[in-house]
Amino acid sequence: MTTLMSKPVSAPGKSVIERLNIVTAVVLGAVSAFVVWRLALQFLPADTEVRLFTREDKITLLSMVAWFIGFMTGIGALVGPFRWVMGKDLSHDENMFLAGKDMGVNRYFRYTTDHKVVGIQYLVITMVIFGIGGILAMLIRTNLGTPEGGWIHPQAYNSIVGTHGIIMIVGTIIMVTGPFGNFIMPIMIGARDMAFPRLNALSFWLIVAAAIPLIWAQFIGGISTGWSAYNPLAGQAPLGMNGYIMFICIFAISTMVAGANITTTIVRMRANGMTWNRTPIFIYGTMASVALALPAFPVFFLSQVMSAMDRALDTSFYNTAGGGSGWLYENLFWIMGHPEVYVILIPAVAALMEMAPVFTRRPLFSFNVAVMGIAGISGLSVLVWAHHMYISGWAPLLNAPFMLTTELISIPTGMLFLVLVGTLWRGRLWMTMPTMSIFALLWNFMIGGITGIYLSDVPADAFLHGSMYVTAHFHYTLMGAGLTGALAALVYWFPKMTGRMFDKKLSWISFWLVQIGFNVAFIGMFTVGLAGQPRRVESYASTFNTGNLITTIGAYTIMVGMLVLLHGVISSWRSGDKAPMNPWQAKTLEWTVPNPIPLENFDVLPTVTSDAYGYGKAKS
Amino acid sequence: MTDLMNSKKPQWWKSPDVKKTAILWVICTAIVGYVGTEFHVRSIVEPASETMTGVIDLMRIFTWAASPVAGLVFAICLTVLTSKRHYGDNPPAEADHQISNSPRANAVWIVVSALLCLFALITGLIVLQKDSEAVLESTAIQMNVTGSQWVWSFDYPNGARSEDLYLPVDKPVVFHITSVDVKHSFWIVQMGIKMDANPGAITEAAVTPNKIGVFDIRCAELCGLLHAYMQTKVHVVSQNDYDKWVAEHAALEGRA
Ligand SMILES: [Cu+2]
Ligand SMILES: [Cu+2]
Repeated sequence: MTTLMSKPVSAPGKSVIERLNIVTAVVLGAVSAFVVWRLALQFLPADTEVRLFTREDKITLLSMVAWFIGFMTGIGALVGPFRWVMGKDLSHDENMFLAGKDMGVNRYFRYTTDHKVVGIQYLVITMVIFGIGGILAMLIRTNLGTPEGGWIHPQAYNSIVGTHGIIMIVGTIIMVTGPFGNFIMPIMIGARDMAFPRLNALSFWLIVAAAIPLIWAQFIGGISTGWSAYNPLAGQAPLGMNGYIMFICIFAISTMVAGANITTTIVRMRANGMTWNRTPIFIYGTMASVALALPAFPVFFLSQVMSAMDRALDTSFYNTAGGGSGWLYENLFWIMGHPEVYVILIPAVAALMEMAPVFTRRPLFSFNVAVMGIAGISGLSVLVWAHHMYISGWAPLLNAPFMLTTELISIPTGMLFLVLVGTLWRGRLWMTMPTMSIFALLWNFMIGGITGIYLSDVPADAFLHGSMYVTAHFHYTLMGAGLTGALAALVYWFPKMTGRMFDKKLSWISFWLVQIGFNVAFIGMFTVGLAGQPRRVESYASTFNTGNLITTIGAYTIMVGMLVLLHGVISSWRSGDKAPMNPWQAKTLEWTVPNPIPLENFDVLPTVTSDAYGYGKAKS
Repeated sequence: MTDLMNSKKPQWWKSPDVKKTAILWVICTAIVGYVGTEFHVRSIVEPASETMTGVIDLMRIFTWAASPVAGLVFAICLTVLTSKRHYGDNPPAEADHQISNSPRANAVWIVVSALLCLFALITGLIVLQKDSEAVLESTAIQMNVTGSQWVWSFDYPNGARSEDLYLPVDKPVVFHITSVDVKHSFWIVQMGIKMDANPGAITEAAVTPNKIGVFDIRCAELCGLLHAYMQTKVHVVSQNDYDKWVAEHAALEGRA
């Protein structure tokens, strides 16, 4: 490739790369979608048999694919590969332009390859996703404030539940590895950028491209199937289902691309002397998360392609009448779905493990056990998927083995607890919002973990499955543990990412509001689950009234807490105190670069001679 | 876990923070165990079958088994939180040790969690075995259950058919469950059994109701528009009442 690079293209005036940005992308995407929609409408033959939606499904899917291709072309994703095929690879100047050399605000709206820009882009899109998902959650909780529900139509309600579910899952998947995995990780390992900077930009813009089909779906019937989109229900769902399918397919590509990129970066680009024993634990967490996504998301992609074919092309992967099986979908879905839980959880816990030594001023306890715990969870998590199918009747004889693998996960999970409490023990507690988040995580994750043991038990699951108890349980793990870690990471790395300190007072207020509201909400949800309220219902028997009211009150408290946090982010970013280079006096490499961080992070690449946890005084 | 501290000193357990943690551990374990079980037992439905009683017992056992671990984690948290805390913009002095590992603590922790895991597994397997054998009970009433959007219907051995379920008390029942459209999940709440109704397949679940009364049947799998309303009642009655009821309803079907 170097020989190709020696032939720079002399571009008179503005080159095409400089002209492309989010505006051209949206325009090209919309135009392509419209053109393809008109053409499909014109030329697609009418259905021969009476089968619901088939022709409309084809039209919708084709238009969405056209949007996707148009958008990605318009943002400039194809310029690099195209030029390479033509034998005229990008010149040095063009590469520097893509990296965001001008440092202007426009680079956030272009196909910029600098990992720091991508990190900020991820941070913003994560906040947008949580904002929308949160509004949907508030709609759900408001509707469930009274037993009759009633003011939201069941069809709309089901769609709100499904959309809330899927975008929160996506939001939590990217909430740590997106912003911090992209912005902080390369600096933390002493690299100038990611291994594949263009893939980095690609993974972010794919998420933006994926968002539109999901929004589109809301106007053509919604996603009335819950986030799991089980077949055959998804097969008879309205056209909005195609939006879900496209969303998942594009998001899966993004996750695979990001996974390959981050894994390669960590394996290949750590600083001189950063052996595996000296690699910070957050790096392990990030790598485990994205590496787990590598086997999981192709399966998710495939499951949705098959779903689309069943809808639009009359195949019968999942359709029992044609010889298919809904169990096939369930298997594919959960082969992705369970590892995905740990894709979310591991980096959040690892981020708190990274902060624990900093805020206790002592070394991380049992680094090796932490690594083993992360590896153990990752390994086991691909072997447990059918615990979501205990009562599906698919294979009763497999219940016992899946109960075994599931309960085995408690051992490596316990290791993470050991590392955290071991690090807290006899530390010098420096009280900050991230410090308290460690305690909050231990509390929430303990509840999420123990309730997980009941659910892993087949007989108990026969009662609990599909009830609000399950909903409360996974909110305890994904939100109580995952989001708590992510919010702590935000406050912790905010000074490096924005150059300003996060407003202390606001971080405390939001912490307590969110944590108290969260526990009120989901303890209440446990009670109605135990009393027999199924999940995903828009009305319920009046016996469940009290518990639901408590949950709704808790949910509103969380909302206020998150709004305070949002205010904190915006006000601190605009006018917070200027951050010193190393406000927490931590020892990882990201704190050795100045604010603002230069384009390629390090003038001289660092050499690492010890691990990053050398706190504490030696006994004489 | 208490040997996390440096064991150079011969009597590490005499250190005040270790003692404090030990006392807190006992207290926290008791609180977690008691509050945890009470929370579950009080919130959960009144059992109407042996199976459901088993589920409640399992929760009690698991909560108590997990409580020492949770108790220890919370005890350490409390000890740390009640020791000297530092507020301010600059970090406190560094801790006066550099302990970064304790093979003994690791080993104890891992062995204990492995044992607890094994315990949970064995307890679960014993109950599971009992539940699975129930399906093979030859004297049981064989009942066909069909889910469709959004009603349950029940076919009795003698040809009777209904949309709310009648069962005799203290007699084993085996349900053969299927669906005509999408996936549903057949849940008799107070009896602690649940099994998916799949189109194109028949699944089995078994239970012996042991209480006369009216209990809830709900659909536990999102099945479309009116999923929330896909519920009915099960009437558990005496054998005599049951016989009378099915005879009447079989006659009704025969009329058609
Ligand atoms: Cu799972
Ligand atoms: Cu249902």
